[in-house]
Amino acid sequence: MADDGTSTPLVERLRDGLRLVSTATQAFAESTSDYRRLLDTIARDVAAAIPDTCIVNLLSGDTITLVAVHEGVPDGAPRLRYVLDQAYPLRVAGLSAEVIAHGRVFMPRVDFEALAAHMNPEGIDQLRRIDTTGLLVLPLATRGELLGVLWVVRRGHRHPPLDELDLEIVQDLANHAALAILNARLIQRLEHSERLRAAEERAVQASRLLDAIIENIPDMVFVKDAAALTFVRLNRASEQLLGLSRDQLIGKTDFDFFPASEAEFFVAKDRETLAANRVVDIAEEPIHTPHGTRWLHTKKVPLLDAAGRPQYLLGISHDITERKQAIAELSAAKAATDDANRELESFSYSVAHDLRTPLRAIDGFSQALAEDYGDRLDAEGRRYLARVRDSAQRMAELIDDLLTLSRVTRSELRRDRVDLSALAHTVLATLQRLDPERRVEIAIAPGLATDADPHLAAIALDNLLGNAWKFTAKRSDARIELGETICDGVAAYYVRDNGAGFDMAYRDKLFGVFQRLHSEAEFPGTGIGLATVARIAKRHRGRIWAEGAPGAGATFYFTLTEQPCRTA
Amino acid sequence: MQDRVIVLVEDNANDEELMLRAFRKSNIGNRVVVLRDGAEALDYFFCRGAHAGRPASDVVQVVLLDLKLPKIDGLDVLRALRADERTRLIPIVILTSSAEDQDLVLGYGLGANSYVRKPVDFTQFVDAVRQLGLYWLVINLAAPA
Repeated sequence: MADDGTSTPLVERLRDGLRLVSTATQAFAESTSDYRRLLDTIARDVAAAIPDTCIVNLLSGDTITLVAVHEGVPDGAPRLRYVLDQAYPLRVAGLSAEVIAHGRVFMPRVDFEALAAHMNPEGIDQLRRIDTTGLLVLPLATRGELLGVLWVVRRGHRHPPLDELDLEIVQDLANHAALAILNARLIQRLEHSERLRAAEERAVQASRLLDAIIENIPDMVFVKDAAALTFVRLNRASEQLLGLSRDQLIGKTDFDFFPASEAEFFVAKDRETLAANRVVDIAEEPIHTPHGTRWLHTKKVPLLDAAGRPQYLLGISHDITERKQAIAELSAAKAATDDANRELESFSYSVAHDLRTPLRAIDGFSQALAEDYGDRLDAEGRRYLARVRDSAQRMAELIDDLLTLSRVTRSELRRDRVDLSALAHTVLATLQRLDPERRVEIAIAPGLATDADPHLAAIALDNLLGNAWKFTAKRSDARIELGETICDGVAAYYVRDNGAGFDMAYRDKLFGVFQRLHSEAEFPGTGIGLATVARIAKRHRGRIWAEGAPGAGATFYFTLTEQPCRTA
Repeated sequence: MQDRVIVLVEDNANDEELMLRAFRKSNIGNRVVVLRDGAEALDYFFCRGAHAGRPASDVVQVVLLDLKLPKIDGLDVLRALRADERTRLIPIVILTSSAEDQDLVLGYGLGANSYVRKPVDFTQFVDAVRQLGLYWLVINLAAPA
């Protein structure tokens, strides 16, 4: 030892070694959270300390694995051949196994013949090939735990042979490395258990969520054991419906709570579900509860174990009592409506038959009077008789029109393909035949086909074209038109005439029953026709509207389908 | 000697009188047997009750049958006549105020030969009766008795 400020090479090396050990230890400590990097750091720093090749092997049970290599030789030197992370059984591990069993091997000058007793020929060839001159193999151990084997290989003659000081430094580094590896493993284990704990926590959270979902589903949810059909789980809605707490229910069967016939039905459905191994839907089932009998719509589902056998039965019951009552009320209301309709039907029938009979007598006997005693009446008397007959006939028309209106409302709507153009031709031909003197220009757009009730469509055109015919009677250049236009996206048909027209101020009155805008003397009519057409349009979910002006004709539009959106 | 009669089943006295007047106006000279309810009509056809002794020489040319009748209604009379061997081929014209679809369908379904709605207008009424008479008494060939 010299204290004169000069240093011997040994002191230099010692100082370097201490510095190396110190920085390596620091590097090891910093690497413990990254196991892989730690192993590489160990190999690198040990190799730097020697300075040559370092190989780290780790022991795990009775296998040994090469985990890190640092060659520390210049470019061009022969390279080691190795496979990282391949595990070998300890019994074929040769020198490493030897070191684990008996402690370190230190060969400052390598003796291949001596090594042959401990290594296989390939291993020795490899050592020769990389020009091994010295060898130090020592166990990585700490706190009584054997972690692996560290190989230090001196290659060639660039450095002096390994000596005791190298051994000291490497041993020191190995001790630190072993401790760092142990720490890293502990941290790994800690992290692993931390991950486990987190996973467990997530599982608990998920399970809690599932519980909350099942608990809060507003339908009765229950689970029964597949074999015993005892309740194993129930949610809050079940408790509320049955008026029993789950403590009272768990472990019991349906027979413990419900009348025998009900319980037998439930259990039979349970068995059906489990036997068929499919969802069974029970559209309606009564259940005895403290709130009286409730009606449930229940679905039963088999829950299978890992082997595919039914383990549990899941049941979901929706309380349909209110809905069932509403349906019952609805059908009662419908029955009442049907009754009322039947009454109306029979009333209409009576009107048709009974009211017409006296009218026929009034008309018939007035006629008889005129024929048989006409010569005893003066002109005024005969005119009175004519008025009696006119009135009787007019009343008959009114009755017939009212019956048509009523039939339009009552009859079932049957949509079919209807050719409005063809219908219009037929109607106008009939009008012309009854009134052969009239000259009317007819313009019917061809091929106006629509989906409508053929009978009702005929009544509608009968009325509209009949009106047009009637209100153009006083014109020599009468013109009647049937056409189609698009209104708010749907087909609107129109009947246009150049007849008497009407004042738009009264347009709302056009479609009311018995509403008339002309005197009977001017244009005869019952005031029911347009109301009937309006009802026909309404029955088809369509509508009717009109445009016109006094003396300038009228146009009646109607639709026979629903309009998607309409600005009022 | 055969008496080719018209049978009128009609409960309304006004309609009966108008009908008879219409026959006269149309120069239909056949004897008209008037029956005022369904039960009486069946008695006549099957020669029983008050009509047990009706002339065997009556050969019914056509029956004008109202639907709304006391005791047994028109459709039931029709059903009974069509079900019996003796009367199943007699021409039957339903003559009524009703033009309800259901009456038409039922009437034809039970084997009515014709269905005529009584018009309120007496002129049309006479015209209808005249055409009926012409068809059933002159043009139509009845099945051999």
